[in-house]
Amino acid sequence: METNTDIIISVKDLVKAYNHGDVVALDHCDLDVKKGEVVAIIGPSGSGKSTLLRSLNLLEEPTSGEIDFEGVHLVSKKIDINRHRQKMGMVFQHFNLFPHKTVIENIMMAPVTLKLKTPREAQAQALKLLERVGLADKKDEYPNMLSGGQKQRIAIVRALAMEPEVMLFDEPTSALDPEMVGEVLDVMRELARDGMTMIVVTHEMGFAREVADRVIFMADGSIVEEGTPHEIFDTPKEERTQNFLSKVL
Amino acid sequence: MFWDWWQSLFTDMPAYAFFNFKFLPKYGYAVIQGVEYTLILSVVSVLLAVLPALMLATMRLSKCAPVRWLSGAYIAAFRSTPMLVQLIIIYYGVFNAILVPKFLIFGFIDSTRFIPGVVALALNSSAYVAEIFRAGILAVDSGQMEAARSLGLSQAQSMRLVILPQAIKNVLPALANEVVTMIKESSICMMLGMGEIMFAAQTISGSTYITIGPYMLAAIIYFAINYPTSKVIEHIERRMRRGDKH
Repeated sequence: METNTDIIISVKDLVKAYNHGDVVALDHCDLDVKKGEVVAIIGPSGSGKSTLLRSLNLLEEPTSGEIDFEGVHLVSKKIDINRHRQKMGMVFQHFNLFPHKTVIENIMMAPVTLKLKTPREAQAQALKLLERVGLADKKDEYPNMLSGGQKQRIAIVRALAMEPEVMLFDEPTSALDPEMVGEVLDVMRELARDGMTMIVVTHEMGFAREVADRVIFMADGSIVEEGTPHEIFDTPKEERTQNFLSKVL
Repeated sequence: MFWDWWQSLFTDMPAYAFFNFKFLPKYGYAVIQGVEYTLILSVVSVLLAVLPALMLATMRLSKCAPVRWLSGAYIAAFRSTPMLVQLIIIYYGVFNAILVPKFLIFGFIDSTRFIPGVVALALNSSAYVAEIFRAGILAVDSGQMEAARSLGLSQAQSMRLVILPQAIKNVLPALANEVVTMIKESSICMMLGMGEIMFAAQTISGSTYITIGPYMLAAIIYFAINYPTSKVIEHIERRMRRGDKH
């Protein structure tokens, strides 16, 4: 697949330690993501996949190392992290929709509060996005009336409403009933086709193989192996990758 | 006629009888005013406590340690000393320096006593309400804050638009319970001559020589207000819990 060679996110020597260094969640990770690239991060639980992803928008503050996003050092007290987070959409395992707001209020809140759009513009855009994921009729429902798959599609729309440059997905289908996984993956597949830069922590190996440009295998806080889906899934070099894949495939 | 019949119920009762309510025909109005005074005093105190409590609670959850200590010290001081002591210090100490203009609130509440009293109760209550708010904020799923921050909202915006609306809903029953507590605790204000229920009872007892009756009536009134109220709150709490299940 042809991709633009501009690097949009660059991670250098990232370390995240807890309890004064007793627990190391990320052990000197390096990662470059190009514009338009879809990167899937796989690995056993506790391997640091989510920590790496959550470090990218500083939901986890790294202990040391560098994160560059569009050429800006994010690990710095001088920058306004809120402004850069606007450009990084994030989708969570447990959706995290705001239960006290309707679907359309969930989507409109951030663009309107941050004065990026007038309420009228935000509403028009929200409706358009909702139509794209087939949920326009749910716009006035509260989240607790929706199924898991619907909630996650709304959460994706909420992130897209900020018109992000990158979308971060933190195990977006892990909390879903099996019959709802497909509808969420469909939306993500379409996003990837439209050229969105995506970093996806996932247990869906089929999705990673089919949609990702690059697959990263992590274990014990380190990036063990990375390559094309073909390289990782069909001809893994590292023993730990082979062991993991033999268990999940 | 009614009063005659009513009074006949209380004749031939010794002054120390528990249910000697002979004073009622003459002092009924004082009791009613006392009830009004108590209700106004406690509701206003808790309402005044809400904003400072919200501030204390957010300070308590702040990342900055000195801010956390400051709020913690306030809460500790007010929760670990008797309300009577606080009341006297604030009334005779603080309001010795601050002159309150004299006027009547609702035609029977003396501002020079009411305002210092309300301030003292509100300061005390804010320490308790702060802890209620803190628990309410912590009870909101941490994913909510993360989702709001990931959209680019600031800490303050996330708090105001996402966390607090959910926290306040969780906290309303506890806040109503604080009013119930305050209805009882405000009886302490009789010490300052504020005309609430206990002060009315004391006055009546003093001028009629009926020793226990007025206090029995006060107890019955407190119970009649607080017990049904807390039952209603319990009921609402149960219904809210059911609504939260997915």
